Amino acid sequence: MRGFKRSWQFHLMILPSLLFLIVFAYLPMAGIVMAFQDFKLLGGGIFGSPWIGLENFRTMFEREDSLQVIWNTFFIAALKIIFNLLAPFTFAILLNEVRKAFLSRTIQTLVYLPHFLSWVILGGILLNILSTDGGLVNRALGAIGIDPIFFLGEGNWFRFTVIASEVWKEFGYGTIVFLAALANINPSLYEAAEVDGASRWKQTLHITIPSLIPMAVVVGTLSLGNILNAGFDQIFNLYNPLVYEKGDIIDTFVYRTAIMEGKFGFATAVGLFKSIVSMALIVISYRIAYKVANYRVF
Amino acid sequence: MKAFTKKGLLLAVACMMLISLLGACGKADNDGNNAGANNGGANDAGETAETGNGYKDKYDPPVTITTVWGVDPELKFKNGETIENNVATKWAMDTLGIEIKSLWSVTDSNNAFATKMRLALTSGEEIPDVVTIGDAQLAQDLIDSGLFREVGSLFDQYANDTWKAAMAIDENVWNPYTRDGKRMGIPVLDYAYNHDYLLWIRQDWLDKLNLQAPKTLAELETVMEKFKNENPDGLSPDQVTPLSIGFKNKMSTWMGDPSWVFGAYGTLPEQWNAGADGKLEYGSINPGMKQGLETLKSWHDKGYIPQEAALWDENKTAEPAVAGTAGIIPGPYWMSGWPLSDTAKNVPGAVWKPYAIPAGPDGKAMRHGTHFTNGVTLISAKMEHPEALFTYQNYMFDNYADPKPGSVFDNGLFKNYDYDIAEDGTLLRWEDIPGGYVNSVRYLLVRDGARIPDAQMKALLNLADGKEATTRLEKEVQTAYGLETPGAAKVLLSQEDISFKNMFTGPPTETMSSKLDYLNKIELQTFNEIIYGQKPVDAFDDFVSTWKSGGGDKITEEVNTWYDSVK
Repeated sequence: MRGFKRSWQFHLMILPSLLFLIVFAYLPMAGIVMAFQDFKLLGGGIFGSPWIGLENFRTMFEREDSLQVIWNTFFIAALKIIFNLLAPFTFAILLNEVRKAFLSRTIQTLVYLPHFLSWVILGGILLNILSTDGGLVNRALGAIGIDPIFFLGEGNWFRFTVIASEVWKEFGYGTIVFLAALANINPSLYEAAEVDGASRWKQTLHITIPSLIPMAVVVGTLSLGNILNAGFDQIFNLYNPLVYEKGDIIDTFVYRTAIMEGKFGFATAVGLFKSIVSMALIVISYRIAYKVANYRVF
Repeated sequence: MKAFTKKGLLLAVACMMLISLLGACGKADNDGNNAGANNGGANDAGETAETGNGYKDKYDPPVTITTVWGVDPELKFKNGETIENNVATKWAMDTLGIEIKSLWSVTDSNNAFATKMRLALTSGEEIPDVVTIGDAQLAQDLIDSGLFREVGSLFDQYANDTWKAAMAIDENVWNPYTRDGKRMGIPVLDYAYNHDYLLWIRQDWLDKLNLQAPKTLAELETVMEKFKNENPDGLSPDQVTPLSIGFKNKMSTWMGDPSWVFGAYGTLPEQWNAGADGKLEYGSINPGMKQGLETLKSWHDKGYIPQEAALWDENKTAEPAVAGTAGIIPGPYWMSGWPLSDTAKNVPGAVWKPYAIPAGPDGKAMRHGTHFTNGVTLISAKMEHPEALFTYQNYMFDNYADPKPGSVFDNGLFKNYDYDIAEDGTLLRWEDIPGGYVNSVRYLLVRDGARIPDAQMKALLNLADGKEATTRLEKEVQTAYGLETPGAAKVLLSQEDISFKNMFTGPPTETMSSKLDYLNKIELQTFNEIIYGQKPVDAFDDFVSTWKSGGGDKITEEVNTWYDSVK
C-alpha cells in the first residue's frame, strides 16, 4: 500500500488506456444481445428491438444448406490449419540445412513476400493463371499431356485450389517462427550427436524435430481458434455458382444474407456461434497442449 | 521540490489525456445542438412572414432547408468552397431565398453515408428537413422509421407541370415508396433505358465475312460459328470469344448480360414478370428457362460463349471485347464510349455497331428494362416549410432538366464550374476551364439536379437523325458520349416494346428476408451446372419444385399481395 501511495500518479496514467479498453473492447460486448433480438437500427436499437430468443440461431440451422455450409467451412479450415503447420515445419528444417547464409535469407524473404498480397489482387491473378482457356498452369499441364483442369469451377478442385493457394501465401510467415525455434536449439546437442557418430539425417530425426515439437504444438493450438474461419476474403474473391456446393462457407453466407441486407441480429448470432465453438476448441486444445507439451500461457 | 514537480507534471499529463478524450466525445453533440437552435430560429422568422399556403418563387425573408450530405469521393471543389458553402448554396439564397443548411456531411466511400445516417438517427440527432437516399435498403428503413412524412399530397399541390409530366411517364416509380396507398418519398428520376441492353457486334468482321446482322437466334448461331472458325482477323478458333457473356453474379445484369437468351423463349430470369393471369410470376421458374438453358449449354459446348463464363463478372466480359478477340457483347447503349472505344487502340480498324436483340424460334424477344429512378427524396415530418423544396425543384425542372435554347442554364449549371465561355463566345472544353472543371450538379439539393427520364434518349435520337446540337442536353450527349451512342439509342428505342421491367419494386417481403438467399443460391447453382453439363437439363424441373416448396410459393403470394395493393 505504501508503494501505491508513492506511485499512484503512474497508475493514473493507465486510466486513459483502461477507459479506451472498456469503451471499445468491453462495452461493445454488450452488443451480443443483438443475437437474441430482431434487431432494427432505426426505430429500436439495442434497447427498443423486440426479443426473439433463439430465433436467429434457428434461422441459421433451419436453412436447407446450413449443415453443408458449416461442413465446408470446417473442412476447408481444418485442412488449411494442418497444411499451414506441416508446410512451414518441413520447409524450416530444409532451409536450415542450406549452409550459405545469403541463399537461405533470400529464399526466406521470397517465400515470405506473398503474405503481404491481398486476396483481391491474388484472386484476379489466380483467375488468369488457372484459366482453362490458355491459363499458365493449364498450358504447362497440356505440355506434359494432361487435359485442362477446371480448378475454380469444379468443387473438389476448388477446395484444393483454395487450400493450396492459402498455404503458398502463408507458409513463409509460419517458417519464420520455426526458424526462430531452430536457432534456439543448443548447438552442443549436435556436437554431442556428431561425436556419437550420428549422420545428418539422424541428427534431424532425433534432435531437430523433437526440439521443434513444442513450438508446433503452440502454433497448432493458437490456430485452432480459426477452425470456423475458412478465409472470407479468399473465398469471396474466388468462388462462383459452380462451386457453391463445396465452396460456400459461413462467412460468405453471412455476408450475403446479413451484411448486405442490414440484418445485424442474424450476423451477430452467427458470429456468436463461431466464437463459442472456437473458444471451446481453444480451451480443449490448451489443456491437451499443457498435458502433452507442457505449454502454458497463464 | 523536484519530486513534487515531477508528480505534478505526471498528473497534468494524465488529466490532459482524459480531458482530450472527453472533449472528443462531446464535440459532436454541441454541433448538433447549435444547428438545431439556428434552424428553429430561421424557420420561425419564415413563418411570421408567410400567409396562405406559403409557396413562393422567392422567399423574403429567406427560409431554411436543412439537409445532410454523402459526398462522392471523386467530387472536386474550387475557390475554397465546401459542400456546406458553395456556388450552388449561394445561388439558392440569391435566386430563391432558400438557405441550404448542412447538419453534417461525410465522404461517401464504403457506404459511409448510409452508416452515418443510421447512427445519426439512432443516437437521436436532428433529422434533416430534406434528404436524398440512393441505398434502397436504407430508404425503406427510413420510411418505416416514421420520422418522415407523407409527400404525395405535397407533390400534387406544389410540383409544377414539367415535374409532374416527368413523373407521369411511369407512375410505377412511386411504388417502392408507397405504404398503404400513401406516397412517403419523392422518387429521384433518372434517365430511362440506362441499363437496357442491345448487341454490340464487330461490324468489320461482319463485313469481311459478308454477313448480315443476325435477327434470330438461328442466324446468330451462324454468325458466331463463322466468327469462331473463319475468323476474319485470322485468330485461331480457341482464341475467339464469339459472344462474351458472364454469369458469376447474376443471370440478369448489364454488361455481358445473358438474360435475352431466355427472353427469346418468353421469360426474363431474376425478376417478377406479369403472367398471363395478371399475377406476377418469378421469371426464373418459367418453363421457357429450360429452353434458354439448353441453348446456352449448346453454345458453351460449341465454344461460342466463354468456357469460364461462370467465373466471369461484368467487367471481365469486356476484356476480350476490348482486346479485340470477342465478336459480340450485349450491353447498354453507352458502351460505345466506355469500354468499347478502346478496342480500336488494340486492333486498328475494329468497329463496333449496335444491333437489336435477336428473336427466338417463335419470334419472341425480351430484354430487361430499367426503372426510371435512382433514389428517393424524403421530407422530415417536422419540416415547417416543405413547399420550399418544391420551389427549388420546380425551378430545376423548368430551367435545368431539359431547357430550351436561351434559358439560364443553357450552357450548363454554373459558369467557371461545369462550363465556361471563351472570349470569342464559344464553349470551352472541360479541360480548358480556368481552375478546372468541377461537377457542380452534385452540389444541388437533390442528386443530379433534375432529370426527365426520356429527355436524354430524345436528345440522342435528334442527333441520330442528323440534327445539330442546340439544347444543353444535346450538346452534352454529343461531347460526352461515344460516337455510336446516338445510333445505339435509336436501336434501343426501336425495340421499346420488348423492354420489361421488374414489376416488383416493394420492400423485401417477410419470407424473402429468411429464404431468398438460399433460393437465389440454388437457382444460380442449378443454372450454371446445367450449362456446364454437370447436371442434365431436367434438373431444372427439380429446381422449380424445390424453389416452390422452399419458400418460393409463399414469396409469390406475398409479392402478389403487394402488387394488388399498388395496382
